[in-house]
Amino acid sequence: MGNIVEVRDLVVKFGDFAAVDGISFDVKEGEIFGFLGPNGAGKTTSIRTITTIQKMDSGSVSIDGHDIRTEFLEARKLIGIAQQHISLDKDLTVRQNLKHHAILHKVPKKEMDRVIKETADILELEEFMDHKVMDLSGGWKRKASIVAAIIHEPKILLLDEPTAGLDTRSRHMLWDLVRQLNSRGTTIFLTTHYIEEAETLCDRVAIINHGKLVAVGTVEELRDRIGRVCVEISDDVRRRKRYFGSMAEAKAYSAELGEAMFNIRRTSLEDVFLELTGESGGKLQ
Amino acid sequence: MTVIADSFRVAWIDFMFIKRNLIIVLVTSLVTPLLYIVAFGYGFGAGAKVDGFDYIAFMIPGVISMSTMTSCFNNVATKVMIQRTYFQSFDELFLCSMKPLAIILGKAWAGMIRSIISCTVLYAIGMAISPDMHLTIGAVAMILICCLTYALLGVVAGMLSNSHLTMTMFTTLVITPMSFLSGTIFSLDALPEIAKDILYILPLSHSTDCIRSTILDTEFPWISLVIIFVYAVIFILISRHVLVKGRN
Repeated sequence: MGNIVEVRDLVVKFGDFAAVDGISFDVKEGEIFGFLGPNGAGKTTSIRTITTIQKMDSGSVSIDGHDIRTEFLEARKLIGIAQQHISLDKDLTVRQNLKHHAILHKVPKKEMDRVIKETADILELEEFMDHKVMDLSGGWKRKASIVAAIIHEPKILLLDEPTAGLDTRSRHMLWDLVRQLNSRGTTIFLTTHYIEEAETLCDRVAIINHGKLVAVGTVEELRDRIGRVCVEISDDVRRRKRYFGSMAEAKAYSAELGEAMFNIRRTSLEDVFLELTGESGGKLQ
Repeated sequence: MTVIADSFRVAWIDFMFIKRNLIIVLVTSLVTPLLYIVAFGYGFGAGAKVDGFDYIAFMIPGVISMSTMTSCFNNVATKVMIQRTYFQSFDELFLCSMKPLAIILGKAWAGMIRSIISCTVLYAIGMAISPDMHLTIGAVAMILICCLTYALLGVVAGMLSNSHLTMTMFTTLVITPMSFLSGTIFSLDALPEIAKDILYILPLSHSTDCIRSTILDTEFPWISLVIIFVYAVIFILISRHVLVKGRN
């Protein structure tokens, strides 16, 4: 698989503050790539820069080989984006909103109705097509906005916090949607501050904190960086964690703990985040 | 031509809203101007003459002029402010490779349609009740130009405002005084020269003169037409600057 997104030494500043501070990574064609970090880490700024909405200060970004500074028109045609805020017109129906997106993306008139119907059918939106957006639940609104973002059949779909603020049922519905889109060949690049989302949905994850990239890899690769097995030791005051490459090593260590309370478990992505960033990760959920 | 075609793509969804809610659009656009006609035309000004015309014939072109601004301003300005600030949907328009001018015009078209609808009804009412009012190509052209100009003013206000509070301030400090003081319901000739000169800084004073002269068939103030065009260009340039600067 080739790279559909290549980011090199990207810097985006607001005044003297570097919201994105020299990050480099690739997104492979056909994968689900997650950008995990707490609020204010630089996720949205990164995604806005990659989609050509935000200007960069230095570095380079290419989408399917098109440099976004010199070939931004070609790059934009390959991108679909669903932002954090649902930007559909709430007074109009889902069908009208999808049609507007098709019009904006210059989908040929004779193909428009077919494209809208096919997309809605495949993604099981047909039943809600003639409902006003304002009458939909939060999850279905978000689903409709994601469907609107892919109406021009982009090669890569960027989702900025797609499940933020949604209940569990809606979150699972959107995860299914993301998997479904990915299975149809669309590369997915999503930002999230939900560890569970990154862990269950993404083929590879990049951890970003304070505008810097902390680590990139599959969840397993990231676990390997600190150890796959975690021994969590509790006393009256605090909890400590030690990481080991294997269960045998963890058990051997725990045998030496004497009467201390401990728990042996699989290392989670949250452990990886906390260990690699050295922070409490208070805003990470 | 691509810019114009793209601007209609941007405006499509607002056109759909107007089509679906035509009665609401009509009622909300017409209540205020009709109250002006009843209260001032048949109340205070009954039987009076201004500039040689019955007051009602003098006033209705002024109310039409006022409607070119008020019917669209709030709607365009609020919608632009919300879409830009809260929903960031302007970003998506850029992603569709829309040029800033196409976005600005696209947002203005829907407001313009609202104003045209209310001005058409007011014009028809005026024609029915006053024999001094004429339907002329010049009047139709002037109404279209003024509707577009004030829809662009709405875009400017929407681009410069970041909250409902600033929008309310803009309406209170700019739009409301302008709608009263621009010769819409009284003749600016009745004022002292200094006050008149100050009020002729306002674009609506010029719109009112142009629309009134074309409807009542009096001498056309060409200089006012030029000033309206200048204002329209300024509104476009400000919107464009804010739109592009906002991205950077």
